[in-house]
Amino acid sequence: MGLTTWITRRAVRSAHVLIVEMPGHWTTRVHVERVVRAWGWHPAVAPADADLLIVCGAPGPQMAPLVERVWGQLPGPRAQATVTAPAEVIPALGRAQAALLDQRGQWEDARDRAIEPDVEHGDTGHGDVDHGEMDHGDMDHGDMDHGDMDHGDMDHGDMDMKPGGIPLAEGSEDRDGLEMDVLHVSLGPLLPHWPAGLVLDCSLQGDVVVAAKAAWILGDVVGAHESDAYRPGTAGAVRLDNVATVLALAGWVAAATSAWRLRDDVLGAQDPHALRPEIERLRRRVARNRLLRWSLRRVRPIDAAELAERTWPRMWEGDVHDRLMSALDRASASLATSERRRGALDGSAGMAGPAVDVTEVLPQVVHGLDVATARLAIASLDLDPLGMTQIQHV
Amino acid sequence: MSDSSVVTVGAGWALVGLVLLGLLVLLAAVVDGLVGARASGASALGGAMRPLDEGARLLRQRRRTTVAADSLLWRLGGGGLLVTAALMIAVVPLGDWTILDLDVGIVWFNAMDVLVWALLWLTGWGANSAHGLIGGYRFLALALGYELPLMFALVAPAIAAESLNVGTVAAAQDGVWFVVWMPIAFVVYLMGVAAFSVWGPFAPALGSDIAGGVAAELSSVDRLVFEGGRYALLAAGAAFAVPMFLGGGSGPLLPGWLWVVVKAATVLLVLVWGRRRLPAARPDVFVEVGWLVLLPAVLVQDLLVAVVAVWGS
Repeated sequence: MGLTTWITRRAVRSAHVLIVEMPGHWTTRVHVERVVRAWGWHPAVAPADADLLIVCGAPGPQMAPLVERVWGQLPGPRAQATVTAPAEVIPALGRAQAALLDQRGQWEDARDRAIEPDVEHGDTGHGDVDHGEMDHGDMDHGDMDHGDMDHGDMDHGDMDMKPGGIPLAEGSEDRDGLEMDVLHVSLGPLLPHWPAGLVLDCSLQGDVVVAAKAAWILGDVVGAHESDAYRPGTAGAVRLDNVATVLALAGWVAAATSAWRLRDDVLGAQDPHALRPEIERLRRRVARNRLLRWSLRRVRPIDAAELAERTWPRMWEGDVHDRLMSALDRASASLATSERRRGALDGSAGMAGPAVDVTEVLPQVVHGLDVATARLAIASLDLDPLGMTQIQHV
Repeated sequence: MSDSSVVTVGAGWALVGLVLLGLLVLLAAVVDGLVGARASGASALGGAMRPLDEGARLLRQRRRTTVAADSLLWRLGGGGLLVTAALMIAVVPLGDWTILDLDVGIVWFNAMDVLVWALLWLTGWGANSAHGLIGGYRFLALALGYELPLMFALVAPAIAAESLNVGTVAAAQDGVWFVVWMPIAFVVYLMGVAAFSVWGPFAPALGSDIAGGVAAELSSVDRLVFEGGRYALLAAGAAFAVPMFLGGGSGPLLPGWLWVVVKAATVLLVLVWGRRRLPAARPDVFVEVGWLVLLPAVLVQDLLVAVVAVWGS
């Protein structure tokens, strides 16, 4: 066995996987995460960090160019797979692994790629992605295209200069009335720990969101392949997944990992009801952590008056910490009765109260927050990826 | 140089120092892999081999660059972390020997840890990426919270030993280790080490909410060097705690140099173990704690130490 083969084998053993979820393919994404963890692989947080790109759900015409762009940012050796149902996960990941191990294939892939990424992407199928990005006028060729994790939109100086083809940032008054550069950055739709299909176009000063606009990008056929995958306990698992996201964004890796494992246990269990004590234990652990409480207290509080004025659901009352605890309560409650009705998924456990249009809510929620707290605030809303279908078709 | 009790060895011995630093880094990486694998339910052996696998993976990966990247500064930032760590351990006496016996060794260490401010910022800046830039902002905001408490924590042993020479500080702990009567300074110091290594709760600059922040665009050998640099800083910080708070090379049976290594490894393992156990210190909130809690606490510690030092002399 040559050195190259040895290095290749060792390298693939700890492959980093960028998992992107198309709207309605929550169950598939969760299965991918479970297999990735079981194989000793690691979820990646950015394309630069990834060897594998796993797309959960077939991307539709709007999503495909974005996926293509993210794919272009993987450094390589790289492989990708599209998985549309939980049953396909293991074979698809197996094929991706084989592609990653295939030296000759990787050489051929690398040969044709430019090292310097392409900026002039205005015409690479992006024109049709109409989610608000285009109204910043000539500022924004540089900033949406990498979908989510992009480079290339900040600089200073003269508007006529375009280093690397990127227009420069323009200034605007900040909160203190001082002139400050404004960056236009799109969060999503292909961002880890982010609601699938959501795009939030933000204007940032420093890292403070001064204006935002939200939109959904649909995938192929929302959730069509997944409906048979709903089981008793799914609603609880969705809550746990959202809880894990908040914990991960709050930087508490140990608790987030516990929540993810519990989510997988609930999904795989014959009788999810038996796992209630585990959820209670996680809840106590989270409640006891003073550091977490101190860190999440007072983050984007929503009081009763604001709820009433905007007709937001009652479950959003309080700050991020309150909402985290209430999501844990809902997780536990949804397992209290072994629910058989599919309707229970999006009704009682998820978005209680009047249906809200998330694209209207989010800009109001994140206004004036920095990116970190904006992410926490959005995650704490406990949006329902399964109930999302109704919202999108409003 | 100074009249301290340590012997300055030839420059060639710096290699030995680097090898020891490398071994500490390896130990930390292996244990971190084990701890991580255990938490996520993967196999322990796989976890222990993770540094090897990650190394192979990153060496196999292609280096990438971004549009209009400031490549020189970007790569200087990442590689600088390793150099900084090496310069830090130059003033740590290994039992009776030291590579660099500066009169102001403590100030030297402090200067090195301030260098990390620039290096982290440059790494975030250089990629010309919004997420990297935000990561850079975050690190600087966090640094405002941790740096002053860290500086005043380093002052406590210096006052007690009446010297800024690291060897003299170690020798001054003949009877009782400084950690015993300067616990606050010790804890604040460890917090500072974790913070300048962008470690555990002090890693919002590398947060998953901003796609890896400062490291968002790093790949291949650039990422390997950057990650190695963080581990090396952590190891160097742990090693520097030994002469400052843990009695240097003093201990029964084993030779002095071995005691230094054992103590450094112990401190390092505590830092590795604590990595995932706490939520992140969000910069805006942490500055409050740094200035309203840690700074006064460590100043009181300094005052007590000063009173004892004056009273004792």
